[in-house]
Amino acid sequence: MSKDMKFLVVDDFSTMRRIIKNLLNDLGYANVVEADDGQTALPILQGGGIDFLITDWNMPGMPGLDLLKAVRADPKLAKLPVLMLTAEAKREQIIEAAKAGVNGYVIKPFTAATLKEKIDKILEQRANAA
Amino acid sequence: MTTTTTSLRDEYGANVMALADALTSGDDARFLEELDALVQRRERALFGELRKLTGDLQAALDRFTLDPRLLTLAEKEVPDARHRLDHVIKLTDEAAHRTLDLVEQSAPLAERTAREAAQIVELWRRFRARKIEVDEFKHMVERMDAFLEATRTDMDKVRGNLSEVLLAQGFQDLTGQIIRGVMKLVSELETTLIDLVRISRSGLRNGETPSDELRRGFGPAVPGVNNGPAVSDQNDVDALLSGLGV
Repeated sequence: MSKDMKFLVVDDFSTMRRIIKNLLNDLGYANVVEADDGQTALPILQGGGIDFLITDWNMPGMPGLDLLKAVRADPKLAKLPVLMLTAEAKREQIIEAAKAGVNGYVIKPFTAATLKEKIDKILEQRANAA
Repeated sequence: MTTTTTSLRDEYGANVMALADALTSGDDARFLEELDALVQRRERALFGELRKLTGDLQAALDRFTLDPRLLTLAEKEVPDARHRLDHVIKLTDEAAHRTLDLVEQSAPLAERTAREAAQIVELWRRFRARKIEVDEFKHMVERMDAFLEATRTDMDKVRGNLSEVLLAQGFQDLTGQIIRGVMKLVSELETTLIDLVRISRSGLRNGETPSDELRRGFGPAVPGVNNGPAVSDQNDVDALLSGLGV
């Protein structure tokens, strides 16, 4: 995976999408597309070409947990790295997300350093597993 | 003759006739006896009505306390909403101050860079026009060195500050989620109050609808609002996940 890998950022708040997109750009990832909930994200993912998914949890339409489950249930997407970036902070939710196969979990409000650290960790694990 | 008059005649007719007879014949004892009977008959009907009213009132009160959703709303969710809105004020306040602090830190750095550049530009023009003395040239080079070094540090700082300003805007997402939650509560409260008005006429409505909050999400954690065990920061999340092997 290199700096031209393609990110999909899913969040119902456009301000948050802009923030994440800007932070990703700062980290050198310029290829970022956006969706405002699971329902709009899924067709983009199924269309192919997305290398990394960053999703919120609490969204109207399809919530992030359902999106994560849909991704893991789709043989073409099952191995896609998924980072949950959300204000949902209940222990049972984090456990639920882990069971559903999330690769990283960052709670809002977050720092640029935490985002970088989690993305790097996920990519590193991918590289080691490959 | 109306039905009411007929029923009144049936109920009180004999009584009133007896009363009139007693009065005409001057039978005081019988008159008082008939009067007592009349008053008793009337009171019985009144008490019957009163008993029915009390029963209705009791039933309405029972339903009021039995409606579980209303209880939760009044006892937990309305006070929670107040905490939530307080938290919104706190988050917007923090974000505004954080942004203002960063702007206040950055502005003098940008100003200093512009001012210093303007002074060097003056020397640089004379150098380009070959109208500069050797001493002045040395002075220019020294200033240039210092300027480049300072600019690098200052602009690094400004860049960092801009990144922080960007992050501070995350409050909009968090407060937006909280406000949406409170709006949902207000509309539920409205529906429940309307229901309550209906309840006073008809029977009990069904209890709560099953919650799918876990699937949909609870929204940001708010201090003082308890939705069950929550992590307090990213370190907690990391510890929990590594315990789960993620």
